[in-house]
Amino acid sequence: MIETVFNILFSGIFYASILFLVAAGLQLVFGVQKIFNMACGSFYALGAYLGIFFVNSFLSMGGTPLLALLPLLAAGFVLAIIGPIIERGLLKFVYDRDEHFQLLLTFAIIFMLEDVIRLFWGTSPQLTVGVYMAFGKINVLGATIPVYNLIVIAAALVIAGIMGHIITHTRFGAIIRAAASNNEMAQAVGLNINNIYVKVFTIGTVLGTIGGALVIPTTAAMSEMALDLVVLAFAVVVIGGLGSMKGAFAGALLVGILKSLTITIYPELEMLLIYLIVIIVLIFKPEGLFGTAT
Amino acid sequence: MKKRWNIILLLILAFALVWPYVGPDYQVYLSLSLFSYSIALLGFNLLLKYVGLLSFGHALFIGLGGYTTAFLTSEFHIPHMEFSIILSILICAIVATTVGFICVRYVKIYFAMLTLAFGMLFHSVLMKTYHLTGGDEGMALERPYLLGIDFSSMGTIEFFSGPFYYYNLGILIIATIIMWRIVHSPFGLCLQSIRDNPDKAKSLGIGIRKYRLYAFIISGCFTGVGGALMATATGHMDPGMVFWVHSADLVFMTLVGGFTNFFGPMLGSLIFIYLRDIITSFTEYWRFIFGALLAVIVILCPGGAMEALTNFFKLLVGKTKPGEKI
Amino acid sequence: MIIEAQNIKKYYGGFCALDDVSIGINEGEFASIIGPNGAGKTTLINILTGFLKPEAGRVLYKEENIVGMGPEKLTKLGITRTFQLSAIFSELSVLDAIKIAVISRQGKGMRFFADLARDKQVHEQALEVAELFEFTDQMQEKAINLPQGKKKLIDVASAFALHPEIILLDEPTSGVSTSDKHHIMQVLVEASKKIGINTVVQVEHDMDIVFSYSKRVIAIQQGKILADGTSDEIKKNEYVVSAAIGRKESFTTFRDIMAAKGQQGA
Repeated sequence: MIETVFNILFSGIFYASILFLVAAGLQLVFGVQKIFNMACGSFYALGAYLGIFFVNSFLSMGGTPLLALLPLLAAGFVLAIIGPIIERGLLKFVYDRDEHFQLLLTFAIIFMLEDVIRLFWGTSPQLTVGVYMAFGKINVLGATIPVYNLIVIAAALVIAGIMGHIITHTRFGAIIRAAASNNEMAQAVGLNINNIYVKVFTIGTVLGTIGGALVIPTTAAMSEMALDLVVLAFAVVVIGGLGSMKGAFAGALLVGILKSLTITIYPELEMLLIYLIVIIVLIFKPEGLFGTAT
Repeated sequence: MKKRWNIILLLILAFALVWPYVGPDYQVYLSLSLFSYSIALLGFNLLLKYVGLLSFGHALFIGLGGYTTAFLTSEFHIPHMEFSIILSILICAIVATTVGFICVRYVKIYFAMLTLAFGMLFHSVLMKTYHLTGGDEGMALERPYLLGIDFSSMGTIEFFSGPFYYYNLGILIIATIIMWRIVHSPFGLCLQSIRDNPDKAKSLGIGIRKYRLYAFIISGCFTGVGGALMATATGHMDPGMVFWVHSADLVFMTLVGGFTNFFGPMLGSLIFIYLRDIITSFTEYWRFIFGALLAVIVILCPGGAMEALTNFFKLLVGKTKPGEKI
Repeated sequence: MIIEAQNIKKYYGGFCALDDVSIGINEGEFASIIGPNGAGKTTLINILTGFLKPEAGRVLYKEENIVGMGPEKLTKLGITRTFQLSAIFSELSVLDAIKIAVISRQGKGMRFFADLARDKQVHEQALEVAELFEFTDQMQEKAINLPQGKKKLIDVASAFALHPEIILLDEPTSGVSTSDKHHIMQVLVEASKKIGINTVVQVEHDMDIVFSYSKRVIAIQQGKILADGTSDEIKKNEYVVSAAIGRKESFTTFRDIMAAKGQQGA
């Protein structure tokens, strides 16, 4: 019994780690640019597909599965390039527009990226074999946990820690916080807002692509990944509170564990329960657990 | 200006009446989609253009209309289309009252999020109730009686390019007239006041939530009728029709056609359906092209194709006037 | 007293916007509320017209406590207001904005199928009000295209079209050039007479306007009533007037101008 609890907990925290990465990217962009980037799921998918490509190439060149984390992270970072392309190429034109239009532009990006993925990888699921198993499992408090999951959880915590440090203790973090709370003021005191926007969006992009890359050993990359993830990420930020990093953390944990719980105990409920909670949160605390009311 | 529009509309109507006789079967069949989406969009745009609320979950009502019709025709063997339409309206009204009651307290992005969540809630219910709704396989629909007439002896193409085509067109015309009247009524003007300035509207005695709720209910019912007809045309109903991307398709069509014009969304559905058909015939990457199209519209021409067209005509008119004077 | 605020306390978080404010307006009065920016004038209007709820205190309208009733309900009871910042319906025409008020008054808001364009009653009554406010040439103009002063006037005109018993105007002449202010006020006074609005309360910064048109002046400063009396009394109160204008030195200038006006018999 207690093993099941720990199993559920750890797989829940694993989902949460991935969700946190994507949600953190979402929150960062929302906090500074006030845009809910629906294409976060597409970035996640791109990270996954490219991650598979990098890992499989790595393995076929004789690389050891235990170092697979390197090509995965590399895939995530390489994709950073799409951040500036999308931000400067498309997003910057709608910053002064109604938020409905901003949302729609990100939806247009989803459409385009879907076909980009289709162009390079087709429609059949892609996977990488053997990496997950190579890490083996360990026994923690009676439950058998795959080591890979623990590595991802650790990676997510490290990234969360780095981000937290950057935001609270560095000059760049202060700049981000300033731009997030009042970007007109930030411009008035001389900050190059365009510069900030590109950087923030790129960081958000990379968080998403890394999330997608890291999940790869555990699952196949499929064409619906992007769309399925958006709704989960959406649930996370609504529950946690739009624009809040703490919210991304808390929301990801809640959604991740819920997902794990329902899959184990009552699979029929899965997404249903999550949406019910989203609706309940939107009704009783629309700004989420940690969000600031607009 | 009004007279010119009336003439254009009559011409379009005349063309629509003869289309089954001149157009290729497949294109005529596509028109059915055009008609049912247009009806669905009449509902959707009531909320967007006239109340200022963007719903990202309107596929919920398409689903309600479609599944109601599926149940009536396949499970209960009640073949009358009118019955399906009326029951769809009733069910959509009930659901819209409940969902709307919660959603209309919020605006902008929160409204969009709530509607998305409700839509997806319905989606997950559909996916998990295999025994009732066929889960992700969906349900089949039987051919309905139109106006009490049994057309089962007709071939599929014959039925869908004949009786059902005109039936669908007829419903579209009726729906358009009703919606036109609604938006040009005192109620319609009050809705627009809420869109433009809720506080000022309150100070004039307009109960914001009540008006929004009524608009939401009317909107849901229209979209439900569209869903019922959509499902009948394809003969099949599945949860994919309720997935949030389908709701986003409605938004897409409306934006592309132009949400600031009453007929904009219809133009948008025409573009979406026929353009997609044309594009898919020479490339499978229609999504990229459509995404790019939407991006262009959002950035350059938020008023959509309708705005582009009216500007174009104004340009033409402007050009000829000085010419005539000379 | 037609409307009376009793011991109103209003807090925004820790900040006290109104501290134990009590005032009563009598039927038929034309009163002005004066005070420096941030004094709490708009907050008071918001509370009297149902847009805000006070933390403590009551508002009595015709002896009934109206705290907690929203603006929609209060409008039906006969209380209406205008806004400090242009409250217009940007996409609607001047005539349409006034029509909404008429529709609301005639209870036709829920008519889904009636053709508004053919409703003579609504059209004529809206036309009447539009002409009273000198919008004859601009009736079909979209509100957003008009200058600031005209936008304010649409706000006022539509509120007047409700035929309220009491109207509270929040800076009706702001955004209008000084030379036009008197004209606007005259239009306003004429319209109130024609429509039959007995009681008018305005928030106003221009002392000339205040003392030319209102019989009663209430001065608010930092959330408290500074003075409350007839305009003749307040006019002479150096402290109050300079507090309202914001600078003590201005009072002497003001006093001299008013004296000069008195000599001209203006």
